[in-house]
Amino acid sequence: MLLEMKEITKTFPGVVALDKVSFNLKENEIHALVGENGAGKSTLIKILGGIYKPDSGEIFLNGKKVEFNSPLDAKRHGIAIIHQELMLAENLSIAENIFLGKEFGSPLNLNFHKMVEESKKYLQMLGFEIDPQTKVSKLNVSEKQLVEIAKAISSNAKIIVMDEPTATISEHETQILFEIMKELKEKGISIIFITHKLGEVYQIADRVTVLRDGKLIGTKNIEEISSEELVKMMVGREIKEMFPKYNKVQDEIILEVEDFEVIGYVAPVSFNVKKGEIFGITGLVGCGKSELALGLYGVYRTKFKKFIIDKQPLLELKSPQQALKAGIVLVPEDRKSQGLVLLLDVVQNITLPNCDIFAPSLNIKWKKATETTKKQIKDYNIKVSGEHQKVKNLSGGNQQKVVLAKFLLKKPKVAILVEPTRGIDVGAKIEVYKLINNLANSGIGVILVTSEIPEITGLCDRVMVMHRGKMIEILEKGEITPERILKAGTGLVENV
Amino acid sequence: MKMSKILTFMRKNPALVGFIVLFIILSIFTESFFNISNIVNVLRQVSITAILGFGMTLVIISGGIDLSVGSIFAFSAVVMASIVKGGKVLLGIIVGLLIGAIMGLFNGVVISKGKIQPFIVTLATMAIGRSLTLAYTQGIPISIFPNNFRFIGRGDILGIPVPVIIMFGIFFLVLYLLKKTKLGLYIYAIGGNEEATKLSGVNVERYKIIVYTISGLFAAVSAMILTARLNSAQPTFGQGYELDAIATVVLGGASLSGGSGGVLGTLFGALLLGTINNGMNLMNISPFYQDLVKGVIILLAVLLERSD
Repeated sequence: MLLEMKEITKTFPGVVALDKVSFNLKENEIHALVGENGAGKSTLIKILGGIYKPDSGEIFLNGKKVEFNSPLDAKRHGIAIIHQELMLAENLSIAENIFLGKEFGSPLNLNFHKMVEESKKYLQMLGFEIDPQTKVSKLNVSEKQLVEIAKAISSNAKIIVMDEPTATISEHETQILFEIMKELKEKGISIIFITHKLGEVYQIADRVTVLRDGKLIGTKNIEEISSEELVKMMVGREIKEMFPKYNKVQDEIILEVEDFEVIGYVAPVSFNVKKGEIFGITGLVGCGKSELALGLYGVYRTKFKKFIIDKQPLLELKSPQQALKAGIVLVPEDRKSQGLVLLLDVVQNITLPNCDIFAPSLNIKWKKATETTKKQIKDYNIKVSGEHQKVKNLSGGNQQKVVLAKFLLKKPKVAILVEPTRGIDVGAKIEVYKLINNLANSGIGVILVTSEIPEITGLCDRVMVMHRGKMIEILEKGEITPERILKAGTGLVENV
Repeated sequence: MKMSKILTFMRKNPALVGFIVLFIILSIFTESFFNISNIVNVLRQVSITAILGFGMTLVIISGGIDLSVGSIFAFSAVVMASIVKGGKVLLGIIVGLLIGAIMGLFNGVVISKGKIQPFIVTLATMAIGRSLTLAYTQGIPISIFPNNFRFIGRGDILGIPVPVIIMFGIFFLVLYLLKKTKLGLYIYAIGGNEEATKLSGVNVERYKIIVYTISGLFAAVSAMILTARLNSAQPTFGQGYELDAIATVVLGGASLSGGSGGVLGTLFGALLLGTINNGMNLMNISPFYQDLVKGVIILLAVLLERSD
């Protein structure tokens, strides 16, 4: 056994994050670690990475007991962690990043040439053809992941932990990553792979370990467990339907745009959204779908021939204020950097976009705001200790519900939801799906911008597929299949 | 459990704790500290820094910094003084305050429309303001004003000095702004997460401009008090005041990265600094050591706050 973690317990003030959890990793193995948010996955990984010290329990590497007092300690023992938020120095080159902290040459005269040459070797191992002198800031997320992996291999890591590497990359890039993971496995590196996407577990993992509420639920060989059983282990109950769909599309058009261009990002597109419709926009990372969404919300500079919302033509769209006034809301992609002010509490966050209701003059009617917030907390089933809890202390799923609650309070005509289920657990996802249906049924036109193909096939009435800043096609209800979406999304369909 | 709660409170309010400790020490070890006239005296001295600090509190909560308050202080003081000296007291006050507000407005517009770091913009305004002051006065102080103007610095109402009344007036105004109005909410939100605030439909640029304008205006108010008290406006006025103002805010528990802090903390920050100065005078410690003690106390307070 390469790695054994035995009966690890870790408590934080007020919570038992891990309760006697055991975990092991074989040589040449890809081991998936799954569980809902708050299950204890990150804590376990942080203990393995030397960031936290366990209260009790032991760690063995190749049968020898080890103790990690710092992240550096763990690194020296051949453990590399690739965090979800990548830890690269953006302004340095790929080569400089790979050899950061273990540079060649003397401190006063670094041997850049050798670092570049060595980097090439590692990058080639990953099939990544690029000049190692390229600045990391020029790379996209999946390329940055490859740099992190190269960095890990270059420090002779025997165990690589990947924390949700597929959350922010496209389907296509995921497949490339999986090929690399398989190759690494053959070269004798074991991988611990954290994911929320169960399909991936079956595609890549040899074994799977499930955690729930800080407890070990079980470790299984992948052949031994069906996906229904796996979901049941994760959520502790049976889930009947992953994608509830009960919205009714009305005849009336709520939003119509003609030749809508996001300058510098998206070539002119024309489309319409009906009342009660869930209209999908999808494509690979970098296809322009997020930019199109932000453009419709007035964040980027745009041009258009026609922009009609609820029969009213819009003359200009230059700021989110104008979009909000016209009845468009946008639930942004990254709830932490775009959706919430983490230092503020739930009431304050919900009040922020709704000052037109709560503060008709300069004064905020805090009593009214608090009452409304309480109602939103109940309606959206947000788990909080109180309405004045700071949002930074909420779990990912509950933070996302606060974002939804704060924008939907505005009673929009069109709601643009960008990756609304990213990084939240299965239970919370289903709640968001139900909410999307309810929104549509209340007569709102819903634009769902997502890279999750199951969400499109499961929820959308029509879907626009984009590739490299252009609309490729709009698929009608009967045409929405994963194959069609992938084909259009990788640019294999001619633009007519 | 209870002990740790007290410790957390102390960590979050270093200025309050420091002030109380110092207050007790000085009351015991010096004879002249704990009497009404000395305490009123401390308050009067503190008012100058405190008012600057109140403006700085808004700026720092919004995630910015204002290095120009000392120069704004000086320029509005000398222009105000030159008009007041000619007998037009009210006009002088209005023009002086307007100059402060306009220089702050300038900071705000360049920062938000030009998308430049507040540190750089206000550093430039600091240099410009100082130069304007020296050019305007040719380096010569402007002194001796009518009595009704001097009343602002030296007078009292019901035994309370006018500067102290102004200080508390502004204190409650800012307290109200931060707690009860959307301006306050937006300032916290911008400092906490500008991007999310913008996407919430808040006109971030406008509110940033308002914040720097208020900071400039408060600098002018503070300048008015000192000018009236000294019966003179010096071209060297306000040098280093920006650092005192920032210190009061930081001592008050605000984070320089924005999004947190409050005006009560700043008030105690200013009281702490004022009491240190006063105490050292009373204990006959050489003024050469005053800044050293101040520096050490700032470091201690911030270290205490960070030691989570």
